[in-house]
Amino acid sequence: MESIKARVGIFILSILIGLAWVMPNFINFGDEDWWFSKKKIVYGLDIQGGLHLVMGVDTKGVIVEKTNRLAKSLQGELADKKVGFESVKSQDEDKTRLDVMLKTDADVASLEKYIEEFYPATLQILETDGTKVTLRYYDNVVREYKKQVIDQAIEVIRNRIDEFGVAEPSISAQGDNRILVQLPGIKDAQRAKELINRTARLDFRIVSTEVDPEKLGQMISDAEAAGNYGLGKENMGYSAYVKRLNEDLAGKLPEGTVVVFQKPESAANLEAGKIPYVVSKDTDLGGNELEDAHVRPGEYGEPEVIFSFNPDGRRKFSEITEKNVNKQMAIVLDEVVQSAPVIQGKISTSTARITLGGRNYQETMNEANFIATALRAGALPAALEQLEERTVGPTLGADAINAGKKAGMVGAILVLIFMIIYYRGLGVVANIALCLNVMFLLAILTSLGATLTLPGVAGIALTIGMAVDANIIIFERIKEELRKGAGIQAAIKDGFGNALSAIMDANITTIATSVVLMYYGTGPVRGFAVSLIIGVLTSMFTAIFVCKLIMDIMVNWMKVKKITAV
Amino acid sequence: MGKRHQQQNNPKTGRKNDPGKFDFLKLGTPFAVLSTIVVLASLVLIATKGFNYGIDFAGGTEVQVQFNQAVEAGQVRSFTDEMGFNKASVQSFGEHNEYLIRLETIEGETDKETNELLKTLIAKITEGLTNSFASQGATIRRVDSVGPQVGAELKRNGVLAAFYCLLLILVYIGLRFDYKYAPGAVFCLFHDSIVTLGIFSLFGREVNVQTMAAILTIIGYSLNDTIINFDRIRENEGLFRDEKFPWIVNRAVNDVLSRTILTSLTTMLAVGAMYFIGEGVIQDFAFTMGIGIIVGTYSSIYVANPLVIFMDGILNKKATA
Repeated sequence: MESIKARVGIFILSILIGLAWVMPNFINFGDEDWWFSKKKIVYGLDIQGGLHLVMGVDTKGVIVEKTNRLAKSLQGELADKKVGFESVKSQDEDKTRLDVMLKTDADVASLEKYIEEFYPATLQILETDGTKVTLRYYDNVVREYKKQVIDQAIEVIRNRIDEFGVAEPSISAQGDNRILVQLPGIKDAQRAKELINRTARLDFRIVSTEVDPEKLGQMISDAEAAGNYGLGKENMGYSAYVKRLNEDLAGKLPEGTVVVFQKPESAANLEAGKIPYVVSKDTDLGGNELEDAHVRPGEYGEPEVIFSFNPDGRRKFSEITEKNVNKQMAIVLDEVVQSAPVIQGKISTSTARITLGGRNYQETMNEANFIATALRAGALPAALEQLEERTVGPTLGADAINAGKKAGMVGAILVLIFMIIYYRGLGVVANIALCLNVMFLLAILTSLGATLTLPGVAGIALTIGMAVDANIIIFERIKEELRKGAGIQAAIKDGFGNALSAIMDANITTIATSVVLMYYGTGPVRGFAVSLIIGVLTSMFTAIFVCKLIMDIMVNWMKVKKITAV
Repeated sequence: MGKRHQQQNNPKTGRKNDPGKFDFLKLGTPFAVLSTIVVLASLVLIATKGFNYGIDFAGGTEVQVQFNQAVEAGQVRSFTDEMGFNKASVQSFGEHNEYLIRLETIEGETDKETNELLKTLIAKITEGLTNSFASQGATIRRVDSVGPQVGAELKRNGVLAAFYCLLLILVYIGLRFDYKYAPGAVFCLFHDSIVTLGIFSLFGREVNVQTMAAILTIIGYSLNDTIINFDRIRENEGLFRDEKFPWIVNRAVNDVLSRTILTSLTTMLAVGAMYFIGEGVIQDFAFTMGIGIIVGTYSSIYVANPLVIFMDGILNKKATA
């Protein structure tokens, strides 16, 4: 027989861990540090109300656009290499393939060699038909690019949502062309949508060196104190805050400059540790003149951000960089500073570089990617379309959650009463298991940071009803054994042993169907599947492990001779 | 349920070869006919009457509005007619003067156009409501809008989910038990989902993403029952080698009968609480689950078992031939 003491140890430990996760849901620990977890179960939109948007991103269009640009640059490159060609055109319906018409067979060979040398991992030669060569991007390149587009769209949306100071906005990619935005607690749906749907505005502005950073910080806090306002105070959004602050600081700042802020890397929203910059009031150069931005290893393998302008932008950029050598140029997206690299010298080539100094490779790489994303976001190539919108009134949510909670509790109490009436002593054991089951379920949901939706609440209520199934199977088996004349110890052992395979088979299939649900389901259904899976797992633990332990203790330690269940 | 009653009826207290108190299989044929009729009727209903798809699947816009003072459904309907929403459906909702107005999907040439059209539509109806019913104090409680592309995708995903679930179950049971059991289990699930959908069609209840979740849960629940039954059949096959297969099946059903009744009861208690106390999504969910428990319990006895016996007959004939 397995040691009861060891099992009691595991049992107590699991209860302690469970309690630790569950407690923050019921007791407010506030800022106290001694409690190790402050996570609470997050209520879904259907419960607390808010705005649910599904944005479509035209990733296909972006690939077509990218292919067109490739056609242009290939023409230039081939001309440079003196490869004779007639035309480079996208031909097929989707416009994602390029037909290159060459002059001679020798040109075909040099084109193939050129592709192999300069685009080995990017371009695929589909077929060569006489002097016609058909090219396309490799699938993984297309996939990667689509992902980039989605990432930058998410970055733009996140920037804008900071305006609301929503506590827990959820912005996530759905498939390869959707973005799901959930804003709990948002009441002004119209404004939220307008903000999200606004086109991204990127511009480059020179940072003024006339104001001492310390003095600037002082000026800002003085202005805030005088007017009794601040970012996030009384729901003051970023744009309202910046506007007010600049009105108050007018006259104190150098002529033609304004204050804008940068969000530190680690901060979730703008409110935390914002960094002020004094920049020129007017846009020096806009994002509409930017063509592309990406990260590339530099001379020594260090990451660099390479970006290119259209001819007009190139001319302006060269002028600005010439006039402002050694000054910082702020890259401002939607009035938020993304980065402020120092201009090293006049840049008049078609591409410009931002070199990032020092620190470790990974950090530099992250920052480079961040800047490139912000730059591309400013020239957001993909159109955002709203595909689905749901506003859920918070009062409706409150009614519904109360009803749901009440239903769950009443259901549980009915089941508890039923079990006691029917099984007496064993019923008490089953009820202890059931209560623990609910606690473990809540603890795991909390620790996973799961979002509890109404179907999730239903899933929990259902788990309570079905959780006793395993107990019933076991108890009925024990009763059978007792009727056969088995001793109490043997009856418990065989009862559990015989019931195990049925319980396992039944639960494994339930988990399998829930996994499918989780994979194909959307939002609320997924929440339901998660609750159900966890419910099945915890109910197996409590019904098999906990019940067996309690009964073994009763028989071995407390010397109970008779089970009042039959 | 009395104590004595239980003891007397339990098969284990009788002779070793007691087939159990109830001869379940005696009713096998009439129930097989009944099941066939109900499944066919459900299929006919689904084909002719169809479903009342929620906007999750059908796409469209739903506006839920609440009034401070009593407003007749007719007033709301004449409002939608005046506004030019010809195919709007108006449904009273709850007891608090609430109405659900559902408008058809609108589809523009492009996504962008659809989007624009939707935006104007929502603005038009919400403004219209607040203006026309200013004296009755209209509050817009909720606006849901699902574009046509998303609806189609959700529908496709729902069907795919059901398909993969069935496939997984088929393989699992085939491997874990024996292939003579697998068709019984899967047919049982078809039976349950078709009958449940038939009932949905009959009552015109809304089919949405949550319904799909509930139906898949029913599949899981019914499967639980079926598997526990199968498990017992397999066990009894080893214990009673001299008995015929149908006898063994009947004995297994009797053996697990008390468990079947008890579990259905406890689940019904939880589901009943959800139905009578919960509202909205939870209530719909409970309704589907309630049907599912009844249909699932029935089918695990009268659909799964006869099929296992049938399969056993075929396989044995082959083995002896």
